[in-house]
Amino acid sequence: MEKRPHALLLKFPGTNCDAETARALEAVGFSADVLPISQVEPSKLEAVDLVVLSGGFSYGDYVMAGRLAQLVSENALGDSLKQFRDAGGYLLGICNGFQILTRMGLLPEGSLIHNDSGRFKCNWVKLKKSGLKDSPFLRALPDEFELPIAHAEGRFVTKQASEAEALVASGLGVLTYAEDINGSFSQIAGLQDESGRVLGLMPHPERFMEKAHHYDPDWTNVTGGKHGSGHYLFQSIFEEISKK
Amino acid sequence: MKAIFEITDRYLEAGDCSALLYAPLDEALSYRQTRRYTLDYEGDQAAALDFVSKTLLDEVGQELHQGEGAALSDYLFAIDYGMKPGALDLEKEAVMSYYRNLKEAPIVLNDLKIEHRVYVFGESKISADRFVSDICNRAIHTWTVIEGKE
Repeated sequence: MEKRPHALLLKFPGTNCDAETARALEAVGFSADVLPISQVEPSKLEAVDLVVLSGGFSYGDYVMAGRLAQLVSENALGDSLKQFRDAGGYLLGICNGFQILTRMGLLPEGSLIHNDSGRFKCNWVKLKKSGLKDSPFLRALPDEFELPIAHAEGRFVTKQASEAEALVASGLGVLTYAEDINGSFSQIAGLQDESGRVLGLMPHPERFMEKAHHYDPDWTNVTGGKHGSGHYLFQSIFEEISKK
Repeated sequence: MKAIFEITDRYLEAGDCSALLYAPLDEALSYRQTRRYTLDYEGDQAAALDFVSKTLLDEVGQELHQGEGAALSDYLFAIDYGMKPGALDLEKEAVMSYYRNLKEAPIVLNDLKIEHRVYVFGESKISADRFVSDICNRAIHTWTVIEGKE
């Protein structure tokens, strides 16, 4: 039997998008396991192709979103996630997972802070692919597409605004909002690292797997595909790993 | 040893005070919120600062102020509020649980007190009581009002 790419989803107390993210991964062909952080140790990363940090409110977002999850993960795994990436593994952080990856230093330096409105935002957004750097997570997606967001701390900032501009100019700011949603510097919605094997994004691809998930019943995919945009993100990384 | 740290947000601008209250205000007052952490610890001061910086501070989006003095100035009044000693403070428990599970803790952390501070800015004779009654929950919170300097 052909071996399917395997995804491991790390679950913290308060992570609440792991089940649908696992379903989304399985829908495109991955095998997927959800592992509570209390059971995580470096050996659990063996035979894993993709580590996913899904959305939610890990540790109640106490102190700041993603901070306690970062600290607990570093205690449990040390440098193992960096070694996993350096050995060719892929990492995906969605919403709270993006916040955690950023705090762990697996993505370019920056932070996700409270939206400039001071309020939780839950709506659909238009996103633009930068296209300056290839991303194995975004290949099957058109240049512009929609996904839902749901976050209170999704405003991406850097120490200087020019650093965020440089991230977009260099192509590491792989996804931007088509309009100002939350005050993010340079409207950054998603980032990748230099290797391209780590992606963090605030929108939720697992919530738009099928056309029926879209708010507009007449929505059609500009590429002619029969699925929602999120499906193509997971499909992109599945194809990347499968061809290895 | 006791140490107080106040953390302010670098990018959040002052908001309209009416957002804090059940009924809007007639006057234009603004507010900023910060967090104050009081550590009761044993060990090196530098190690305590390092622990706070790594655990409680976002170095990109926040700034750390050390000491009893207020991090912000020119305020009308400020309100410190936090959980009553007997009430379950989940945030404190989450931080203490992380600390207790550290393989090599840099300090001995005996206790941690977490307070939210709301600074109110503007020209007004309004009493802080209205803010206290709308922001604080008498069942679970303790609070202190700090009058601004004339």
